[in-house]
Amino acid sequence: MEFFYAAFKSMGIFAGWPQPLLQGMAMLTIAVIILAGVAVAVMIFSLAERKVAGFMQSRYGPMYVGHWHGILQPIADGIKFLLKEDIAPASADKILWRAAPVVCFTGAFLTFVVLPFGPSFVGAKLDVGLFYAFATSSLVVIGIIMAGWGSNNKWALYGAMRGAAQVVSYEIPLALAVIPVVMTTGSLNLGVITQAQSGWIWQWHVFHPLLLLSFVIYLIASLAEVNRIPFDLPESESELVAGYHTEYTGMKFAFFMLGEYADMFAVAAIAVAVFLGGWNSGVPALDRVIPAPVIFVGKSVLVVFLQMWLRWTLPRLRVDQLMSVCWKVLLPIVLVLLLVFGLLKVLF
Amino acid sequence: MVKLAGDIQRSLSSIAKGMRITIKYFFKKPVTQQFPDERWSLPERFRGFVHNDVPRCTACQLCAKACPVDCIYIEMEGKGKEKTMSRFAIDYNKCIWCSLCTEPCPTNCITMSHDYDHSLYKRNRLVYEYVDEPVVPYKIPKEPKKKDEDAASAPAASSATKDEGGEQ
Repeated sequence: MEFFYAAFKSMGIFAGWPQPLLQGMAMLTIAVIILAGVAVAVMIFSLAERKVAGFMQSRYGPMYVGHWHGILQPIADGIKFLLKEDIAPASADKILWRAAPVVCFTGAFLTFVVLPFGPSFVGAKLDVGLFYAFATSSLVVIGIIMAGWGSNNKWALYGAMRGAAQVVSYEIPLALAVIPVVMTTGSLNLGVITQAQSGWIWQWHVFHPLLLLSFVIYLIASLAEVNRIPFDLPESESELVAGYHTEYTGMKFAFFMLGEYADMFAVAAIAVAVFLGGWNSGVPALDRVIPAPVIFVGKSVLVVFLQMWLRWTLPRLRVDQLMSVCWKVLLPIVLVLLLVFGLLKVLF
Repeated sequence: MVKLAGDIQRSLSSIAKGMRITIKYFFKKPVTQQFPDERWSLPERFRGFVHNDVPRCTACQLCAKACPVDCIYIEMEGKGKEKTMSRFAIDYNKCIWCSLCTEPCPTNCITMSHDYDHSLYKRNRLVYEYVDEPVVPYKIPKEPKKKDEDAASAPAASSATKDEGGEQ
């Protein structure tokens, strides 16, 4: 943001404009860039997911649109979403129903503001970046509840209740799992956390034995946070039709998808920044050669691939299993981990 | 506590096992066949849509009689030497692909081809017409009689045409 603010300030045509206006313009520029980036990333991920699914099941996935391995399939999908009839249930709560996809997407989208793509490639260098990221990504659950309630449909409501229970429960181990990292680095700023991992590859937090454990817990909880298989109970299509977005068509449905994929990337990027060294390549010499955003996005894409890999490997959990994994397994482990880590910090 | 640790260990190892399998398949070549572009090579005796080589058809109606579901329609026009075959049609709504029609044919003009993907929008389009305008049926040239194994088939064929002529 500072970069754009300085750029606008130095431009002759904006001379004499009030400072808040220039700041607003800088924010808007960042927002547009992130929105475009998210849209493109989601298009790529939607094709990638279908390709990964295909190859893991010994088939090709989309092959026709664009003549080369279905490369234009996301565009065809987008056009199809735009052309679909926009159907609203007669008894839906119109305001909630209309707002839900936007809230869902916004929750995912806001997280991108603090993602440190590079030492200077970051929307806003917030000192509470990590906290902000968790706060915004849990906004998604409000969208889910709005969708479920607003649809006035039993399946949608079931999905929404499950979503609420799940996201609220998994928020706890998710947030607690990163606390040890915050203890080591002494900051919630994602840029500072990444900076602490610069240098050789073993400086990354994930190679610390206790932090590896918290990384695994973070990964599991983040899957639940973004409603991916094996934790996709809010939209479990085999029992709830399509869960909270049963009643949605066309672009509204597309926005839920957009939100889901954007959220996937967001939690992956946070995992990269917090545990996997962020924009550091792990070899100091390479850091000067490869641009930081390339490294960061590359690592994030690998984590997203891991999420997809898990999705096409594991079956969906039952609701009670889901809850017991969270409260009886993840939470005790992460609390003990926190205690042990804190003690070690105090003693050494 | 011990049970819990065992459960966690077991679930993690089973996840790892599953992920090993899926990643193995991820790097394998898919088994999908890109259908319209690549096709199976069909077995030689595959029974596809019936092919009738009309110029060689004697209009003997043996195939129509052999058909267990009566899906072959043969119509004749005119009398005596003017006789022409005005219609040879197969109704694929009824056809059971049994290949029994190909067996009695005296000239082997009716055969099962390797075509199989004729998709249509209307059911009545499945009645395939093989003759556009009336044709003179093929006459089997008279061969000098042989005494060996050909003798069995040739007279049968000629008698078949005669029978058929009688009917008209």
